[in-house]
Amino acid sequence: MNTTERGTFMSAAERGTYVMADNETVQLRTISVPEAFVRRTEHLDKPGRPDAAPDAGPGAEQPAAPRARGVRDRYLDLLRALALVRVVIYHNFGWTWLPLVFPSMGVMFALAGSLMARSLSRPAFGVIRSRLRRLLPPMWMFGAVVVTAMILDGWGPHSEGHPHWWWGKLAFWVLPLSTPPFAGTVHGFSGHLPHSWAEQVVVPLWYLRAYLWYVLLSPLMLKLVRRVPWVTLAVPLVLSAVLNSGLVDQSGRVMETATDFTTFGACWVLGMAHQEGLLRRIPQYVVPSLAPLVLAAGFWLLQRAPVDDPRIGPDLEAVPLAQAVWSFGCVMLLLHLSPSWERWPKPLERFNGVITLLNSRAVTVYLWHCVALVMTEPLIDQLWNNHFAYAHLRWLLTSQWFPLLVAIPLIVLALLLFGWVEDAAAKRRPRLFPYPRRVKGRRRA
Amino acid sequence: MSRHQRPRQTVLRPRRLAAPPLRFFLPISVLVTLLAFMVLRGMANNEVFHDEKVAVSVDKKTVPKSVLEGGPVVDARGDKQDKPVSYTVPDKTIVLTFDDGPSKDWTPKILDVLAQKHVKADFFVTGSMTTRNPDLIRRIVAGGHEIGVHTYTHPDLALHNNMRLDWELGETQLALAGVAGIHSSLFRPPYSSTADALDDWSWPVSKAVGKDGYLVAFIDKDTDDWKRPGVGAIVQAAMPKLAGQGEMILLHDAGGNRSQTLAALPLIIDKLRAQGYTFKTVGEALGAGSANTKVSGSTLWAGRVFVKSTAFSVWLMPFLVGLLAVVGVLVFARFALMLVLSLLHVRRTRRPGFAHGPPVTEPVSVIVPAYNEQECITNTLLSLAASDHPIEVIVVDDGSSDDTAAIVSELGLPMVRLIRQPNSGKPAALNTGVAAASHELIVMMDGDTVFEPATVRELVQPFGNPRIGAVAGNAKVGNRDTLIGAWQHIEYVMGFNLDRRMYDVLDCMPTIPGAVGAFRREALTQVGGMSDDTLAEDTDVTMALHRAGWKIVYAEDARAWTEAPGSMSQLWSQRYRWSYGTMQAMWKHRHAVLERGPGGRFGRIGLPFVALFMVVTPLLAPAIDIAMLYGCFFVDPYKSLGAWFAVLALQAFCAWWSFRLDREKPWYLITLPVQQVVYRVLMYMVLLQSWITALTGGRLRWQKLRRTGEVGLDVTTAEAARS
Repeated sequence: MNTTERGTFMSAAERGTYVMADNETVQLRTISVPEAFVRRTEHLDKPGRPDAAPDAGPGAEQPAAPRARGVRDRYLDLLRALALVRVVIYHNFGWTWLPLVFPSMGVMFALAGSLMARSLSRPAFGVIRSRLRRLLPPMWMFGAVVVTAMILDGWGPHSEGHPHWWWGKLAFWVLPLSTPPFAGTVHGFSGHLPHSWAEQVVVPLWYLRAYLWYVLLSPLMLKLVRRVPWVTLAVPLVLSAVLNSGLVDQSGRVMETATDFTTFGACWVLGMAHQEGLLRRIPQYVVPSLAPLVLAAGFWLLQRAPVDDPRIGPDLEAVPLAQAVWSFGCVMLLLHLSPSWERWPKPLERFNGVITLLNSRAVTVYLWHCVALVMTEPLIDQLWNNHFAYAHLRWLLTSQWFPLLVAIPLIVLALLLFGWVEDAAAKRRPRLFPYPRRVKGRRRA
Repeated sequence: MSRHQRPRQTVLRPRRLAAPPLRFFLPISVLVTLLAFMVLRGMANNEVFHDEKVAVSVDKKTVPKSVLEGGPVVDARGDKQDKPVSYTVPDKTIVLTFDDGPSKDWTPKILDVLAQKHVKADFFVTGSMTTRNPDLIRRIVAGGHEIGVHTYTHPDLALHNNMRLDWELGETQLALAGVAGIHSSLFRPPYSSTADALDDWSWPVSKAVGKDGYLVAFIDKDTDDWKRPGVGAIVQAAMPKLAGQGEMILLHDAGGNRSQTLAALPLIIDKLRAQGYTFKTVGEALGAGSANTKVSGSTLWAGRVFVKSTAFSVWLMPFLVGLLAVVGVLVFARFALMLVLSLLHVRRTRRPGFAHGPPVTEPVSVIVPAYNEQECITNTLLSLAASDHPIEVIVVDDGSSDDTAAIVSELGLPMVRLIRQPNSGKPAALNTGVAAASHELIVMMDGDTVFEPATVRELVQPFGNPRIGAVAGNAKVGNRDTLIGAWQHIEYVMGFNLDRRMYDVLDCMPTIPGAVGAFRREALTQVGGMSDDTLAEDTDVTMALHRAGWKIVYAEDARAWTEAPGSMSQLWSQRYRWSYGTMQAMWKHRHAVLERGPGGRFGRIGLPFVALFMVVTPLLAPAIDIAMLYGCFFVDPYKSLGAWFAVLALQAFCAWWSFRLDREKPWYLITLPVQQVVYRVLMYMVLLQSWITALTGGRLRWQKLRRTGEVGLDVTTAEAARS
């Protein structure tokens, strides 16, 4: 297949919007789909910058020869996609071993920290502004839907007895410096949803709040990383140990924010240190030698933590200090491996589409997956009324896997409905469903 | 054991010896089988009341009121999951229940009493006791009593998940099927009491058990007999509150001294009979038929296999403990010996004015066998050019297919001669070099090794003593900043500073490293030069020198920097070659054991040492880790981990000591914990694989390798020196 044909094919697939210069353009365009968690591509904001070209997103003309720095690191994409999938599965099943196998949140923050450090070669104010511009619109979209639904379901200024506070706290839906307010118990739309649906739906918001704080403090953190790297790495862990020692009262909005900040601070800083090349400056044997010890310490902290439900056992997500240490150990190893794939290893090639889609819609998937999981409940309830399903499919209806199966199309629906906001926030042409089309024979070349 | 050999592919390493695809299968299956038996043994060993973690009482919000206020038997099966039904024992009826058994001390006596009084009772047995006392289970069943399930290991199920619950019940049923051919649908949770003591943590257990189809039998009356309150108190506690009221009485037939229970039992029976009570099993009392059903077919056979395996594991355990003891003794003895002897060696050789003899200043021939070494050979030769001892260098190009020879010629160093020969293996290349060498003292090194300026001088100084026939140098890992490199660095430093000093003092050095060693031509000629009988020609020739009566010493200051294997598969191949080669060499020189003179001395001291520490110990070493795992799960996790870390600390101390002796930076020791675990497993697998090769196809490789080209030397002996 020659270049022209290929270009035509792709153009057709993308409704002829782009001019395809050559093969490389096609490839880079398809794989360099930016998403909000990873703002690798915001050099776009300043097209005049000399190194803007390699990171260029859709529509930008790429030079034929890919520069090392410009090609997406597929390894990081894989980690991000794994983290997202893990979060969805965990929220469906609640398996406590899952966060141990793959501490998603630590990985997400480490990746974000790494990319933040990379962007901060530019003036800090502009970087922060561009981050917020990417983060907030998807959240506003989410807030518009969820707050409306909560109000329709009986939530309002008088729900908590402090109407002024209620109006004031709504500001956190605009700028989530603290967790946005939500209805504790509502009617559940005349019983179709559980009374606590709002609480279940806003579970992911803490991540945005923590992320916002990391972004705001990143210029300072990066300075510290450059000056006293090892101390900066240790400080969040030490702070986390102090906050969770039981000597500090952890109630309240401020402490909630502080606890989350210290829990994943070490991961964020580690991501920054990784970007700064700190991990490459120490001998290679150090990280894999220390990581098992760190993990052992994290596991020990987890085991000695008091448990809510002894039949389920300790949950990493509920023990901040153990979470901090365990995530730190895992992220250490994952960043140490960091093979920097410019293209997929053979076995992973087939997942390119899903991983690219997840990466370019990461915020949407993350924000809406809990809504999808909550929505499965009324949907599955309908099936219980169906005679055939009741008689023959009870094994399916009672299975824990079934909600997940139902939730996946709902998440896809959310992508279709709300995903475009991510593109708009990144000043890209909004796309309905950024699933990359593979060009025939591409990989074999 | 540290030693160096070029990681290269020669004809000496036939393809069959390259790690076979199933190389992990046997070693791992042996380990897994062992672990499986230890799990069985651990379960069987699980004494009642071992698991001391008991859930404290909490709220009772989720427990249905009917259950709290109802009788001792709770039925939450099937569609009764959400509307459980409680049954009471009918009036004038007593159900005697015995928990935690059967025990070989007390259950037979209790059964005697029951038989004498013609009373049928219920025994809530644990799986662990069942597998240990199969005859008693059969006796209970034959006596018409009823068996209930009391879990396998007697944990407080409120603290465990449903998977553990299913496992506890499933294994117990398996054990019951195996010993008596029955299953039981009656269950009593460990640490349970009356139904009104259920709480938010323990109720889910009963519910889950109901879902699995079990009736849960709680009690009316706890006699507290396990506290040994006195016979009178037990009898008193068993009496019903209201005359004529039916009740389920809890007694124990295991878990300690039950003499009071035994004494109280006839009194209880007589007293209650006098009040008009009859004694029934749970099934009879509820009018529901026996809770025990016969099993057949595959279930029965699975049970029998399970019970037999458990019995085997119980039988096996003492041997495993013995094995662990052997490993412990070997490891500790080895370290103690190494520490003492290395100290001795250091004191001897670092004494001011110490010398093996008069200073050696005569020129030396350095032989560099090279096979496809184009990346390294330049460095090697340049480092030799900087030598502060007069040398001639003979590079033997063993039929390289790359540019090695051209690079050597190109370099044009004045003291270097290049000999090219068709590929015939490292021993042949070395022999070629020896034949061409012009001096009496011969240093052998690898093509990828770099010498320090003083290395050759330090290496040949011991030849001042005419009895010394060969000298081992100190090989160091150059690429030590990678993980595998750091592991090998630790291994090399320990191997050269502890092992080799020990062997030096004991005068039974098993190997002169291929990377840095020196020989007297006379000694080499006497033993017939290098031989390709084995895969480890360096070990082979060293043993031959010992048998010929030559002394071999270690020169710590003769340092050679070498590139260690960079990947696990390379490391595996190298170690496989070494351990198999060592075994071959030991076999070749086995007759030394019976020889007289220096050969006999080596045969009776050196060979057993090598066999013990290089062949037996690594094979058994994973026992330490297996014992740690076993201990964590079945004994006491903190004690087990403590013991494991104690061994690690000892190793760390030895490693630190060897680093100190070699004046190396101790930072590398942070990787020691990981290194020890990985190396134990690696060496275990390598050795097992070597044994398999030796026992199955080993004989084939005793034959001489077929040569590829014509016999003899290629005549093109090129003078590399440019004039």
